[in-house]
Amino acid sequence: MNDIGSLVVRLLDETTKTSVGLFAPELVLSGTIVLMLAFRVLPGLNRIPTQWVALLGAFGSFALALCQFDRLVTGEIPPTSFFTGMLMFDQLGTFFRMFLSLFLILTITLTVLTGIPDRDDAADFYTLLIGSTIGMMIMASANHLLMMFMGVEMTSVPSYAMVGFLKGRKKSSEAALKYVVYGAGAAGVMLYGISLLAGLTGTGSMPDMAQRLGMIVSQNAGIGDATVRTILLAGLMVLVGLAFKLSIFPFHFWCPDAFEGAAAEVAGFLSVASKAGAFALLVRFGLSFTSTSAAVSEVGFSFGIGLGVLAAATATFGNLSAYGQTNIKRMLAYSTIAHAGYMLMAVSALLVLAHGKQVGLDTQGEARRCIEGLIYYLFVYLFMNLGAFAIVSLIRNQIFSEEIEDYNGLATQCPVLCFGMLLCVFSLVGLPPMGGFWAKLVIFSAVFKATAVHWVMWGVLGAGAINTVFSLFYYIRILKAMYIKSRPAGARSVRYDLFPGGVFVLLICLPILGLGILPQGFTDKFHNIADALLTQIGR
Amino acid sequence: MEAVGPNPFLFVSAVLFVCGVVCMTTKRNGIGVLMGVELVLNGASLNFVTFSKFTPLGLDGQVFSLFVIVLAAAEAAVALAIALNFYNNHLTIDVDRGDELHG
Repeated sequence: MNDIGSLVVRLLDETTKTSVGLFAPELVLSGTIVLMLAFRVLPGLNRIPTQWVALLGAFGSFALALCQFDRLVTGEIPPTSFFTGMLMFDQLGTFFRMFLSLFLILTITLTVLTGIPDRDDAADFYTLLIGSTIGMMIMASANHLLMMFMGVEMTSVPSYAMVGFLKGRKKSSEAALKYVVYGAGAAGVMLYGISLLAGLTGTGSMPDMAQRLGMIVSQNAGIGDATVRTILLAGLMVLVGLAFKLSIFPFHFWCPDAFEGAAAEVAGFLSVASKAGAFALLVRFGLSFTSTSAAVSEVGFSFGIGLGVLAAATATFGNLSAYGQTNIKRMLAYSTIAHAGYMLMAVSALLVLAHGKQVGLDTQGEARRCIEGLIYYLFVYLFMNLGAFAIVSLIRNQIFSEEIEDYNGLATQCPVLCFGMLLCVFSLVGLPPMGGFWAKLVIFSAVFKATAVHWVMWGVLGAGAINTVFSLFYYIRILKAMYIKSRPAGARSVRYDLFPGGVFVLLICLPILGLGILPQGFTDKFHNIADALLTQIGR
Repeated sequence: MEAVGPNPFLFVSAVLFVCGVVCMTTKRNGIGVLMGVELVLNGASLNFVTFSKFTPLGLDGQVFSLFVIVLAAAEAAVALAIALNFYNNHLTIDVDRGDELHG
């Protein structure tokens, strides 16, 4: 009895003194949800515009995450696991929480400008948006298989509803149904994989998993043993769930349908934010196979090679399918798939370098470059993809169309939006001096280093290079329509509005240029994050 | 009474999982697909409870399955709402009839 009493006291102590403080950004967002819903039902308070409450909450969360990140970098708070090892508080997780809050701020601002949720629905929409962001934050700091599943589900369930948010539209309801059916199926398979993994290793904690795996492999007859094979199968099932969230080939079917049916604002949110959370989770999951045991490292290494092949297939498939699209949201959806492929190349190179055999060069240093490239890519991707979707939604509000041919000659009517699109598209292709160029360069050079470990990475590198060139052809169609074709007579005209839409677009698009011209400051920061992460797991 | 090992339980859960996956892939009715998902989730839940009794996973397994039950309920609620919305727009729940988005 006394034992239990002291345990409870210890638990309370840990929870109140450390965990709650470290969880503050998420708590602020949760509080915002409660406030928004309460304001709607309370008489008198329901006149407060919901979007401002949401925006305030997002700013609060961003500020808290920023403070935490600063204190982590200076070493004031050491990295630690909290809530009894459920979540991890480290530079990677906190950076992504900051990233996601920043993205939330930008998305809420965009929805205020385009007015997608009307007054009555605003509270519901922002509840879903913020709820989904909390899920992504949990994904980014998950340290336990349970939190991994919770994070994925908390992200997915509100996203299903957001995709179907446009009422009375056939396409929107169809997109939501397809998304929910695929998503629920993938989540189920992932959960079954988690159950096998947790059961066979006897722990749900990701850092403990590698050690237990090492024990199991050494007790049994190596990789051919039934238990070890089941564990591999379970790992693959978990990857199915993550691949679905990342829209990796062959689990990408939902992406174009969901994006075409959803509002452009929601599509922009899903394309960037859920990828950021899922990539952080994938890096953590992949690195949890790091151990001193050679057999376990081999498992991590083979996952790395497998992901490399998938990455090449994803990038190729995304670019090939984007070529024939006429709807801009659908084209951007396929471009999202292709970009997920490029980013997956970084994860693949990371696993290959971190787990592969040591060959002459400084593999652990290069593994740090992989994470650095991934974070830099995601950071640039935030601006370029959100920028593209923001422009699509602002133009949609005036011409009521999302077909590329209806964009003909827009440059004469709304030069600011078209200039923004020009920056976004050049960056998406990866032309210097845009941020997208450096992002691709860092990732491709990391993959090039990985070729020294295994020859398959040459294929991955080749696929990446060819795809980059190929993607130019379909992205340029948007610009061709905007700048070269003339506006047909009788087409709806776009009022030239610099304020507030144009200012917002410039605010998002100019950082792309800034990131491309001065990448050094950012890459150094990201390198520190990668260094902290890999040092923590003993590499 | 003879002690029962974990294998019969794991077998049942594997059967549930396979039935669920088959149901998800073959049913054309949206509700049928969602029922398949429930089977898969319950198969995983059964796995967790089994492992919590027979392996060092311990009570973690029970907590896992409790969370799964809650999340499955939340997911079912959202999924059924979306299915209803689809029915209102298309007057059918056949997933193959959703064919406006393609390419």
